[in-house]
Amino acid sequence: MIISKDNMGALADAIGATQTVYVPGTERAATRFVAHKKGEPVVLGGANVRMPPKDLLFPATEKMYRWKKHEGQLSLETEAAAHEPFTVLGVRPCDMASVAKLDLVFLTKGFVDEFYQARRDAATFVAVTCVDPDGDCFCEAMGVRLDAAPAADVLLVDRGGAYEAKPQTEKGEAAVAAWAEALGAGADAAAGDAVEAHCTLNPAAAKAEERLRAEDFDNVWHSVADYCLTCGTCTFECPTCYCFDISQDVRADEGARFRCWDSCMFTQYTLMAGNHNPRADRASRVRQRFMHKLRYFADRYGEGLCVGCGRCIRDCPAGVDIAAIIDAVATAPEHELTEAARTVQADEAKKEAAHV
Amino acid sequence: MNDATQIVRERATALLADGTVAAVVGWAAGRGDHDRHVFVARTPEEAALLVADQYCGALAAKRVLSLLDEGKIALVARGCESRAVNRFMADRQLKRDQVHVIGWPCPGMLDPATGDALKRCTECQRRNPVLSDEVVGDPVPEPELDRFAELERFEQKTPEERRAFFQDMYESCIRCYACRNACPCCTCRVCFVDQERVGWMGEEFTADQARYYGTVRAFHTGDRCIECGECQRVCPQHLPLMLLMHKQVRDIDGLFGPYPGGGMEPEGPDPLRTYHTDDLEEFM
Ligand code: SF4
Ligand code: SF4
Ligand code: SF4
Ligand code: SF4
Repeated sequence: MIISKDNMGALADAIGATQTVYVPGTERAATRFVAHKKGEPVVLGGANVRMPPKDLLFPATEKMYRWKKHEGQLSLETEAAAHEPFTVLGVRPCDMASVAKLDLVFLTKGFVDEFYQARRDAATFVAVTCVDPDGDCFCEAMGVRLDAAPAADVLLVDRGGAYEAKPQTEKGEAAVAAWAEALGAGADAAAGDAVEAHCTLNPAAAKAEERLRAEDFDNVWHSVADYCLTCGTCTFECPTCYCFDISQDVRADEGARFRCWDSCMFTQYTLMAGNHNPRADRASRVRQRFMHKLRYFADRYGEGLCVGCGRCIRDCPAGVDIAAIIDAVATAPEHELTEAARTVQADEAKKEAAHV
Repeated sequence: MNDATQIVRERATALLADGTVAAVVGWAAGRGDHDRHVFVARTPEEAALLVADQYCGALAAKRVLSLLDEGKIALVARGCESRAVNRFMADRQLKRDQVHVIGWPCPGMLDPATGDALKRCTECQRRNPVLSDEVVGDPVPEPELDRFAELERFEQKTPEERRAFFQDMYESCIRCYACRNACPCCTCRVCFVDQERVGWMGEEFTADQARYYGTVRAFHTGDRCIECGECQRVCPQHLPLMLLMHKQVRDIDGLFGPYPGGGMEPEGPDPLRTYHTDDLEEFM
């Protein structure tokens, strides 16, 4: 199905007739996915939104349960519930890849987060191929293709003046069939060839991951810590950062537990009872962020945690640049192996010696 | 290479080589043509990476405080950095002999993305360093700029418009605390928002919590603010944080002045913490 770009507003109106549809817009001082209002124009091209769609699945603050004491009886009430269906229209390939990573975190390895799952099940993701990478975008280096978004229900392929809607899941099939009915004649438009685009920034991510596994880069973390403010903007704006903290709001006879976003850049993140803090200094927190993005997540899930959207580069107030750091790691002169790598090497040498 | 960069590199190299200082705090270039970030040079080789040009937007001064264990620290200081040094000394965070100030009469900074002057540079009261151990280049003229224009525009608003303005502002705050981390007056060892056991601050990301944080921070720094505008520059949401600061500075000037702003002299002036028998006491 081909839909003219001029018809995106009508498409959002049609979806919006039965459910909330989030489209790129501006709210609370930033571009982000905002609830579409009937009749407003919808434009999917241009710069990506500054805030990723993460909070639609994993809100910054989320109530988990409430408790109440009444005449000596304690009652608990969970806040987890099925979510109303909604559609997110115009997600870029990098951000769609981030949703797939959040799925790994919240839905796999033997634990299902019911809050995340409720929203995820209710969501229909309509991705759009990216034709506007800017100088800080490097998703291709992180394994994302600008013309594909495998995790999306529907992919809109940019064909110049129009989008070709390709369903990719059952949910997507049903959505596109419903759109065709709703848009009628508006659904057919002349389409050109698929627009092809590529990132101009291509840090050597595979090389960096390999070296982070074998060597210490304390010099890199320390030099970044010399200017990082450890403000956490990078982690709040990152589409894949998923850390949260559980807190409570306690009144006399009732209270609520909620979770809210946390960041490994904050001192409190690793603060323990007794005031011990294993990551009290900035360099160790900087190290954690980049090690998690570029190595630890890959150790656990077989793929990295950075999708190359460039947000943390664009909005870091101190000029910290993950692409430059990836290249600094990849091209650093060979130096000391880590303790772990030394042990592995020694073990292998022993095994070899035993074979001889 | 511009003159300032050249001289800063030469001086930093000399100070490091002869052991006068353990490190030099300035700026270095990043990946993009105009990307600059704060940089600490600890060896003559690193000193060759220092840059001092119109894209050095970040306020470098606060970095000195975390390096004091390493020895005496040199700081490349424009007007705003030098006022921060006075602030640190008045707040007992730094002794004069712990820092070597390489004064840099400031040409005014540009936003690397747009090429426009940084907002704080269009409001700046002191481009020449207010204290220094040596100076790079010649003094620049002080442009005598109006820093209260934004405040005066704001004061034209009706109370309802003002309430909506602040509601919008605090709904937009993501509470990253970049403003606090960057501020040269925010030097508390444990900020009130981090005193978890006392629980001053709720963890929820709501406008009410952000308003509470934002106003307490503004008042806690109001009579010490050096008007460097760094809080507003670093805010990822570009919130107009200097409004509350300028409001306080202007009120202090009117009520207890003359008050030129924070950090102009080594020990103050500090009107809200100085008692005069003829102070205004209208409310008593
Ligand atoms: S890298 Fe930048 S955005 Fe992230 S914590 Fe450091 S200063 Fe803040
Ligand atoms: S680490 Fe930075 S570039 Fe990578 S996904 Fe997060 S915000 Fe995007
Ligand atoms: S540990 Fe840090 S980098 Fe990793 S998800 Fe949490 S906040 Fe993001
Ligand atoms: S820097 Fe801006 S967004 Fe961050 S806490 Fe301060 S006011 Fe809020």
